[in-house]
Amino acid sequence: MPKVRRSKKSPPEGWELIEPTLDELDQKMREAETESHEGKRKQESLWPIFKIHHQKSRYIYDLFYRRKAISRELYNFCLEEKIADKNLIAKWKKTGYENLCCLRCIQTRDTNFGTNCICRVPKGKLEEGRIVECVHCGCRGCSG
Amino acid sequence: MATSKTTNTYNRQNWEDADFPILCQTCLGDNPYIRMTKEKYGKECKICARPFTVFRWCPGARMRFKKTEVCQTCSKLKNVCQTCLLDLEYGLPIQVRDAALKMKDDVPKSDVNKEYYIQNMEKELAMGDAGAISGSKVNEPNEILMRLARTAPYYKRNRPHVCSFWVKGECRRGEECPYRHEKPTDPDDPLADQNIKDRYYGVNDPVADKLLKRAAAMPALPPPDDRSITTLYIGNIGSLLEQDLRDHFYQYGEIRSLSVVAKQQCAFVQYTTRLAAENAAEKTFNKLILGGRRLTIKWGRSQGRSGTSVVNQTAETYEPVPGLPGTLPELSNNFFNLEPGHIPLPNMPPPPSLLVPPMYPPPPLPQFFFNTRLPTFPPPDLAAVRPATSTSAIENVAIVNKNNVHYPSQDPSRLGATQLHADCQE
Repeated sequence: MPKVRRSKKSPPEGWELIEPTLDELDQKMREAETESHEGKRKQESLWPIFKIHHQKSRYIYDLFYRRKAISRELYNFCLEEKIADKNLIAKWKKTGYENLCCLRCIQTRDTNFGTNCICRVPKGKLEEGRIVECVHCGCRGCSG
Repeated sequence: MATSKTTNTYNRQNWEDADFPILCQTCLGDNPYIRMTKEKYGKECKICARPFTVFRWCPGARMRFKKTEVCQTCSKLKNVCQTCLLDLEYGLPIQVRDAALKMKDDVPKSDVNKEYYIQNMEKELAMGDAGAISGSKVNEPNEILMRLARTAPYYKRNRPHVCSFWVKGECRRGEECPYRHEKPTDPDDPLADQNIKDRYYGVNDPVADKLLKRAAAMPALPPPDDRSITTLYIGNIGSLLEQDLRDHFYQYGEIRSLSVVAKQQCAFVQYTTRLAAENAAEKTFNKLILGGRRLTIKWGRSQGRSGTSVVNQTAETYEPVPGLPGTLPELSNNFFNLEPGHIPLPNMPPPPSLLVPPMYPPPPLPQFFFNTRLPTFPPPDLAAVRPATSTSAIENVAIVNKNNVHYPSQDPSRLGATQLHADCQE
């Protein structure tokens, strides 16, 4: 079943070029949603969701801002249809947050001491050469 | 149903509130910068089961987060850290500390009794800090406890727990796994089954047992069997003077005499009472450090350097049996003017050479004893007893030269019990 379109208008030109990729991503998302939870930790089962969400938004963002392959009209259409995450892209436009993994990791209200998630610490500053998978999205370091 | 605010607040088991945790340095970790969370009524106290304020912090890199396990009331009652339940001063288990300080603490362990006790204690603690805390009785640092205590902090107890998945071979986290990928402790090891309640009440604690055994095995100086010995040998005095030693050793009891042998770097101190000597030995053995040096304390032998062997010579001495081979021949060169047959006992104390210490005109060595005493102390009470032949006037010694009596049991006047003084009056 194709993804439901909330607005009555038909998608602008160029939609057919991006549609297959978006369909694939949707398919991946559906698989991630229906995966079994066996053998995974409670948090770990949510990580693929965040990952695919990031990927979808990244695709649209790249197309418009980096490669300039789609029109602003199409880009706005994707944002309105919630194909890409508007707020996440807004962060990517800021310096230092270009590779932000998800919005949860910069939410200071979620932490005990009002800080960012451990994945926001640049690898250079994180001594002992240890691997971190952040608890929210499984990110291994999204800055630096 | 109306519940007024004041109903039934008298005997409520109050939930505990606190501002700052009671912790030991090891639990806090090596980093002086710590961030700690505080959660009111976060968990139940492991001992009294009341909700209390839980503090949680990270004691260092690669350490698990620690939190307070028992409430402040319970920890104040026993003067222990809220997390590790070890003494705040020495870092030793409660059982060890109580055994060393001979403290008996009767905290009830069961149900309502316990709740009642804790409740009252909390009230007392809140009133005034003076009485209720058992830890306030620590006045002087206890020797045994100081020996047993650790010198450096033991951070191994802050390590994360062993990864149980890895033990089964199923750990999928690999490198980023925060738990330890090590072999778990041997389940047969007695230290493996520890129980927080047992550790708190000081009962059946395997770590404490181990430490107590080690304490018992520490070197000790047993008092000698001969109850007349009241002399202590003090070695390694270096340049200490007699006065320094006197100044220290007088506190254990009245010093009968103290002689220093500088050449051998040692001294002998003799007390008037055996009890004082034992007290001194206990307080100084392996502990006393004077002049920057640890002094070696040992028991002296029966006749110390300090002269008067009065104790040994109250016994009556008899003429040895003439026919026996043991009788010593007459001295041809009687340099010391000794009574024939009265060869004095060799001087017992071992190493020091028998120099007469210059500061001591009296009492001289037993060798010279008979000679010098002679003119000065003729005991008047013995005059009657002493026959004309015996001229050596040893103080209080009755030299009985009775016919055919060579042993005390041969003496017909002796009726069972010793008659040391009865003979004097004959």
